[in-house]
Amino acid sequence: MSSWRLQDEMTKTRAFVFKNWIMTKRNVFTLFEILFWPLVAFLSVGLLTEFAALQPEMKAFILVGVISMSAVQVCQLDVAYVLLYDVWSKAVKHGFAAPVGIRHLLFGSLIVGIFRGGTVFVLLVTASYFLFGFDFTLPGALPMVLFVMGLFLSAAMVGVFVCILVLVFGNRAEVAAWSLVSLMLLLCGVYYPVSILPTWVRGLAEIIPLTYFLEYFRLFYGFTPLSSHVLAKGYWMVTVYLLVEVFAMKAALQRAKRTGLLLKLSE
Amino acid sequence: MSVSFAVEVIGLTKTFTSGWFRKRKKEALRDVDLSVPEGAFWGLLGPNGAGKTTLLSIISNLLIPEQGEVRVLGKDLRKNAMEVSGRINLSSGHANFLWSLNVRENLEYYAMLYGLSGKRRRQRVEDLLHLFDLSDFARVRFDELSTGTKQKLSLAKSLVNDPELLLLDEPTVGLDPDVAHRIREAIQRLHREKGTTILMTTHNMKEAESLCEQVGFIKDGKIKALGKPKDLKNELRLGDTIMIAFSGALHAESLQSLKGIYALQTSDSSCQILVDDHHERLPQILDFFIGEKVFIHDLRIKESDLEDVFMAITR
Repeated sequence: MSSWRLQDEMTKTRAFVFKNWIMTKRNVFTLFEILFWPLVAFLSVGLLTEFAALQPEMKAFILVGVISMSAVQVCQLDVAYVLLYDVWSKAVKHGFAAPVGIRHLLFGSLIVGIFRGGTVFVLLVTASYFLFGFDFTLPGALPMVLFVMGLFLSAAMVGVFVCILVLVFGNRAEVAAWSLVSLMLLLCGVYYPVSILPTWVRGLAEIIPLTYFLEYFRLFYGFTPLSSHVLAKGYWMVTVYLLVEVFAMKAALQRAKRTGLLLKLSE
Repeated sequence: MSVSFAVEVIGLTKTFTSGWFRKRKKEALRDVDLSVPEGAFWGLLGPNGAGKTTLLSIISNLLIPEQGEVRVLGKDLRKNAMEVSGRINLSSGHANFLWSLNVRENLEYYAMLYGLSGKRRRQRVEDLLHLFDLSDFARVRFDELSTGTKQKLSLAKSLVNDPELLLLDEPTVGLDPDVAHRIREAIQRLHREKGTTILMTTHNMKEAESLCEQVGFIKDGKIKALGKPKDLKNELRLGDTIMIAFSGALHAESLQSLKGIYALQTSDSSCQILVDDHHERLPQILDFFIGEKVFIHDLRIKESDLEDVFMAITR
């Protein structure tokens, strides 16, 4: 890739970082997203573990779940927001009239998502140490990095899926930005092991990469995973899903141009 | 000498389908052909729902047609969408941009989308703020701007990439007359100084007549007429009306036999003469009245305009 081309790619990606960052800075609800809701969820679940006098490993199981979920939720919102901000501003057509690709949207928004999700993660990990005596860093640096990367890729996957839904169904699909993660909360074993789920529900859990990332990290706290090579499975799955989603989003965009939805989203 | 076209549209058809189960179809464009030469300033006119915005949206790659070929700046739009998008731009009436970003940030954002970076981007944004008198509003958020300032921002945004083809979708709709006038001046200056090809839709006939070299009338998804405003008037035999109040005996038949007269309506003391061009025909009509010893009390001329063309075509 020539240096000119590389700079062009970086500038277009930076445009989406710029947009998401300014919108985040200017809107008070985004502050709630990274401070209020994650802390409320974390504190209430953490206090519940204290009240229930759970064993340290059980407490670890639940706190890993609640911290991961908050980070995923915030990060995926940023990826979804890259389109939703345009939809809410009715400015969709101007963005898509420009010579930008899905990759610019995805990488640009993911950078802000990682920053915001990472902030939530660090905040909650620190709080868990001081408030509930839980050491999140126990597995070591590398497993932590691999786990957190898996979380953010899972978040990107959810965020892109929301964008696809919006491009197919219009702005009534924006509700997916908040509800999809709640569905994952139910399926991926955030507060309980997936082994307790009915067989057919477990089948659903097994096709979601987040399940494997959580299983991988809990391994270090003494929990037996559902199957072997959970980390590899998680990464393989999330990579395939993301690639499929990029093509699906291109197809959804083409469809929106055929049906006129792209223009309707700007009216 | 061969003419290069900025826009070539051949056999374009676009139908919108709505409803998931019971599909309803609406034909927006039907077998449309259009060739806009490079450096031209053309206008598209027509009633609401005629297909003007649909055509512009297809050219700007925001809509995909069912049938037809679209070439923009010599490139097949379908195969070279990314390249073409970088060389054209679009501004529309009632424009919306990111509400939390201020004027400068919105321009910075769109400049980045078009690949402008560093000093070049900052300079471009400064130039556009200055060009459209937006410097005082640079730090004002989009949702706090007046309609006129939003429209100026829309035009400024459409120039961030210094486009070779500029598509303007009703750029002065809903604006105060003075703001609309300034916007028109800015558009005219751009065309004059940079030679940018402009294709504009408008409801405002006077605007089209004053700005556009050629105009096309769209109705029911078809281009019904295309040409220079004067040629269209002649083609439709709209001409100009000369209204004369007189006293004396007028031989209407002799008057009607004069060259260039389309129609004549007379009463005892007045007549309305429809002529192809009043500049050419008035001297011979006056000579006729003098020759007939008919005394003229009053004489008025009403030139036909694009509104008459519009009415004739859309009737």
